[in-house]
Amino acid sequence: MGVRMERSTKGSRLIVGRLCLGALGLAAVLIQGAWAQAPSAKPESTPEPSAVAPEASAVAKDCGEPKVAVTPLPNSALALQKHQKIKILAIGSSAAAVLGMMHDGNPPLLEQILERNIKGLDVEIINRGFSGELAEAASERLKLEVALNEPNLVLWQVGANDAFAQVPVESFERSVVGTVRWLKEHNVDVILVGLHYMKQLAKNEHYQAIRTSLQRITAAESVQRVTRYEAMEVLARTLRESGRPEPRDFGLTEDGYNCMAQYVARAITVGLFAKPAKHAPQPAPTR
Amino acid sequence: MTRQANAIDFWRGFALVSIFINHIPGVFYERLTHRNFSISDSAELFVFLAGWSLGLLVGSRTQPMTAPRLVARLGGRALTIYAAQILISSIALAILASSAYTFDNPLILEWHNAAAVFQDPALTHIGLVLLTHQLGYFDILPLYVVLMLAAPLIALIDKFARPLLVPLSLALYFASLTVPFTARTWPVPGQWFFNPFTWQVIFVLGFAMSRDEGLGAVVRRNIDLVRMISLPIVVITAVLVWFNWFPDPTKLPEPKLLFLNGKSFLTPMRLIQFLALAAVFSASYPYFAPWVPWLTEFLSSLGRNSLNVFCVASLLSLVGQVVRYLYTGSLLADTIVVVCGIGLLWLTAWVSEWRDRQRAAG
Repeated sequence: MGVRMERSTKGSRLIVGRLCLGALGLAAVLIQGAWAQAPSAKPESTPEPSAVAPEASAVAKDCGEPKVAVTPLPNSALALQKHQKIKILAIGSSAAAVLGMMHDGNPPLLEQILERNIKGLDVEIINRGFSGELAEAASERLKLEVALNEPNLVLWQVGANDAFAQVPVESFERSVVGTVRWLKEHNVDVILVGLHYMKQLAKNEHYQAIRTSLQRITAAESVQRVTRYEAMEVLARTLRESGRPEPRDFGLTEDGYNCMAQYVARAITVGLFAKPAKHAPQPAPTR
Repeated sequence: MTRQANAIDFWRGFALVSIFINHIPGVFYERLTHRNFSISDSAELFVFLAGWSLGLLVGSRTQPMTAPRLVARLGGRALTIYAAQILISSIALAILASSAYTFDNPLILEWHNAAAVFQDPALTHIGLVLLTHQLGYFDILPLYVVLMLAAPLIALIDKFARPLLVPLSLALYFASLTVPFTARTWPVPGQWFFNPFTWQVIFVLGFAMSRDEGLGAVVRRNIDLVRMISLPIVVITAVLVWFNWFPDPTKLPEPKLLFLNGKSFLTPMRLIQFLALAAVFSASYPYFAPWVPWLTEFLSSLGRNSLNVFCVASLLSLVGQVVRYLYTGSLLADTIVVVCGIGLLWLTAWVSEWRDRQRAAG
């Protein structure tokens, strides 16, 4: 159920918008399902990390087109090669925004997509998201959770709280870079989940500064970033240009969250099958 | 009749003000709270003093309360705290929703674990009522509810088998750390921020130390020795915190939770440091109480009305976050937020006591 930001006087537009969203979501699920079931889309059970990413990692069109840089996830790929369970630690303010909506005790959508799309993949998602945490506090807790849970991959949704709390960009950057490097030193892959697109925040200086900072960090540290801001921005523009109502809170609906899970799934899949960079250190044989 | 300012109410008031400030992430004044030079923070102090207050509520052993009366009284208190949690959670959700609406920013709906409430309201409302879904920064009262539900058992063990109380509590504490286990959240899978199986130990220790016999008597008899041991612990840990000199958590031996600095599990490092801090700083009250009577009276009034003040403080922290977002977190905005917030906390305490006086008079 989406939360509407429109005033009640715009009720009819809301209903239409909601129907459109519902249709988009349904289409997204159908398209995703079709991709997932396509036999050619499934990789072999013992994939080489250098193999080409399977088509199954594609994101449903109605979720927009997030740019996914080919950034290897060497530690997770090694676990997959060895038929070991891949442990994913989710840290950040909104579990739903990274893992997709969770219903009736079912595993998170992200886990379902990954296991459905990559044959032989066994995923365990450890959700340790606590809301309102700034990057500095989250990075301390993240280290503890890594020590306790020994994940292969950390999904870190970071930036929004710091942007709203007006944390200075330098301080934010120091926390994130320090943690990313610490994770690399400890043979843990990391994917940063970036800020949410919101038309109202497009001109918010601090929000944009934190967003740019994240872009800078991911480029400098060669880590994967889920570009949900850009994807949502493109989606909003596409809808606007095609004359359809632009869903102002699309990203915060169940459909939006499920798109996020698809973005993340895509980033992971691409990372699992990406060829390791020549200069990149080889993962340690055991963790 | 309003009770006189005393050390317990004073430190409780101190904890409440600290919690209010610390719950506005990024605010300038959070750099001044004691967590910047202490491993433990105001949460430990709040729960310890809640245990201490339980000891006062239960009464002395010379004037024992009957078991049924004890259960009824403590059960009633648990119900009051539960009602307060439900009320402030509802108001917090309304603050988030109205802020999102007013400032045209739906992202505010994602703050503090609120997204699930708005996206999956049917299940999440059940979770809110069962306390298995907690909003961020609104997660200490659920712990308090659980502890107060366990309070009759604690009081009965104290009444009939006092020597067993602390060992049983420690056994549960270490079991939870070594297995490890904690309370789960639902419908969003995860863990309680405050693990009730470990945090009970500080509540029980607060209770036990408030008593005239057993551990409380031992500590009081040897308080000078306790403080002599505690002082170096406080100083050394302050240096560790200030320079962030903590070992790499991945390099620690198993079971890691015995050696980590983790708030959710109230790891031994935090517990020991808190007890040392409490021992050292409890010595200061008799000296500065006459020196700054207005501060003593002010913080004691907050402490005397801790539940009401805590509820208002939690909501004001949230409002403070919204204000900081709107006014870009300048020092002026931070000062206004903190000064107005503390003023409103005092008003809450004053209104609570005024109401009590009216009731007593009428």
